[in-house]
Amino acid sequence: MAAASVYSSTGFDFSNLTRNNFLSEKGLPLPKATSTGTTIVGCIFEDGIILGADTRATEGPIVADKNCEKIHYITDSIRCCGAGTAADTEFVTNLISSNMEMHTLTHGRKPRVVTAMTMLKQYLFRHQGHVGAALVLGGVDSTGPNLFTIAPHGSTDKLPYVTMGSGSLAAMAVFESHWRANMSRADALQLVKDAISAGIFNDLGSGSNVDACIITTNHTEMLRNVEMPNERVQKERTYVFPKGTTAWKKEDIKKLVLSEEVTPIGGEAMDTD
Amino acid sequence: MSIMEYNGGSVIAMVGKDCVAIASDLRLGNQALGISSNFQKIFPVTDRIYLGLPGLATDVTTLRETFRYRVNMYTIKEEREIEPETFAHLVSSTLYERRFGPYFIEPVMAGLSRSATGGFKPFIAATDLIGCLNFAKDFVVAGTASSKLYGVAEGLWEPNLEAEQLFETISQTMLNAVDRDAYSGWGVVVHVIEKDKVTTRTLKGRMD
Amino acid sequence: MDHIDMHRLKQGEVNLGTSIMAVQFVGGVVIGADSRTTTGSYIANRVTDKLTFLHDHIYCCRSGSAADTQAIADFGHYYLQMQAQVMGSAPSVLTAAAIMEKMCYQNKDQLSAGIIVAGWDKKTGPSVYNIPLGGGLFRQPWAIGGSGSTYVYGYCDATYQEGWGKDETVNFVKNTLALAMSRDGSSGGCIRMCVITEDGVERKFIPGDQLPRFWEGKEVLGEGIQNSLKTNDLFPKRDV
Repeated sequence: MAAASVYSSTGFDFSNLTRNNFLSEKGLPLPKATSTGTTIVGCIFEDGIILGADTRATEGPIVADKNCEKIHYITDSIRCCGAGTAADTEFVTNLISSNMEMHTLTHGRKPRVVTAMTMLKQYLFRHQGHVGAALVLGGVDSTGPNLFTIAPHGSTDKLPYVTMGSGSLAAMAVFESHWRANMSRADALQLVKDAISAGIFNDLGSGSNVDACIITTNHTEMLRNVEMPNERVQKERTYVFPKGTTAWKKEDIKKLVLSEEVTPIGGEAMDTD
Repeated sequence: MSIMEYNGGSVIAMVGKDCVAIASDLRLGNQALGISSNFQKIFPVTDRIYLGLPGLATDVTTLRETFRYRVNMYTIKEEREIEPETFAHLVSSTLYERRFGPYFIEPVMAGLSRSATGGFKPFIAATDLIGCLNFAKDFVVAGTASSKLYGVAEGLWEPNLEAEQLFETISQTMLNAVDRDAYSGWGVVVHVIEKDKVTTRTLKGRMD
Repeated sequence: MDHIDMHRLKQGEVNLGTSIMAVQFVGGVVIGADSRTTTGSYIANRVTDKLTFLHDHIYCCRSGSAADTQAIADFGHYYLQMQAQVMGSAPSVLTAAAIMEKMCYQNKDQLSAGIIVAGWDKKTGPSVYNIPLGGGLFRQPWAIGGSGSTYVYGYCDATYQEGWGKDETVNFVKNTLALAMSRDGSSGGCIRMCVITEDGVERKFIPGDQLPRFWEGKEVLGEGIQNSLKTNDLFPKRDV
């Protein structure tokens, strides 16, 4: 039984499927999971890779998180942007990050980007598209800079500049018109910012801020919220309610710190001499 | 009609200055029919962590027991209380284990985590039904009234509210959002967690 | 299953709506493919390499689902690598084609993959094997595949001749693919080709703006090509 241990066996648990299929046959549609209707990009430049992402997470038409992180850690010099089902991108990158660490430890050398790419594509292919993760994988290893996209069914592409997610068309338009081979670090970062901004402003599924990550041979720089074009302005006024606004029926206060009171019993203090 | 609306119910958590608050409604329904006006959806995990489980009522009960079991096992094995961040990941992976046959629950967590200096830091988090974590710095909402809660909370919440002010803000957010949701309501319960005490109040709300 | 549906790709799956081709000639084989990968109407990759390495002198052309064909090709590559170590010699094209066919046939319910395996080996010399959608293994002097191939069967039947050399075969592949790409909406981009002979593999790349062009009306074609049509040179020669 899966619930019988804190450290239960690995893999998915399908025991609710029968019940859930019964419910959906009754006409109760299964609810939507958080998806990152996203803009994620990657771009090779002079001496490395720049990855970019927006920071909006959506649940249908609702913005579930206004500043989430979509650039996931794989190893020190490999990162992965995730689009699609948010939970899937989070767990699949975590799993492969962990496997890459084990791989590094057993082989005793810096892991390669293709290794992560192969692990990811084989995992996604095995689940036949049911694990809904669309990824942009980038990093620098002994073979130089590497950039891949991995689609949910497990197909991969190797290109000098890539985009994924619902904002990929807007971002790709920017890349197709402004990308050049061997760009400088500053130019490439600006291009990535522009591509993500195109997604943020033209795609409803993308929004909020720009995250970027610059990976070079011996340094990885995570630029969290490198651009914040949608910051909330100071509210016109505050709505602090005076104490006692809310009527309540019952109160229960649970004290977490036990107060001790020492009551001396008997006459004089102990003779300590 | 989604499964998430079958029993109704909503939960919200908010961050204040050195405190957090978590509130839920008390309704248990069978679609439009009200069944109970004292159905608790928020459960203490440790002294300083509270967990809200809005969604399908059968899964509320199942998951409450699952988490009680897993937290107890953690406490015994580690010989210490679980921290809110750790608990959030426990919730997340418990739900993701059922990625292809989920529980119909969107958990909301609120607590105080112990900082390195020995003080306490406010912590809130929520996940979707398959365990995608959302660590917010202001507030998190879930349940049938979530869309309304987002709107009201976005307007009423502000940083650094003291415990008493936070109580008023979360209470008013909850009461007003729930009044516009047919599947939530029938009373509200609020927990305000501070470093030395937890105040639980049952609010006077509309019973229609 | 009554019939195999060409369009039973899963929702949102990346598709190689493709034109692929392989032709055997006296000293080797020429394989070629367009470079378009689509998801619905979006071109996910316009410079795709559908000519996939299996062994030193064996390649395959992939059509159908990108994920499925990559997985099959990756397995084929792995298998042949092992086979070469065990046997101590290079595997034959037939061995490669047979293992690819086995994968396609045994998993036919879950796959949408149409593959052409081609290459050169010591025993048979050059050979081309076609593995259509549900599996099956057919040795052919020339094979075409993918959604674009339906438009050019007639052209291939009318044009192909035995005994061609390398240059004629390269031109045949190039022209056929250009014709297929111009008629098929889900094929396009550039042409990639490989000439596989005993000496090794020579790659050729034709950019999208240098594809062979045929009659498109004089408003589209310039005067020069009009003249070349008049001189009965139906397929203007260009450098590869």
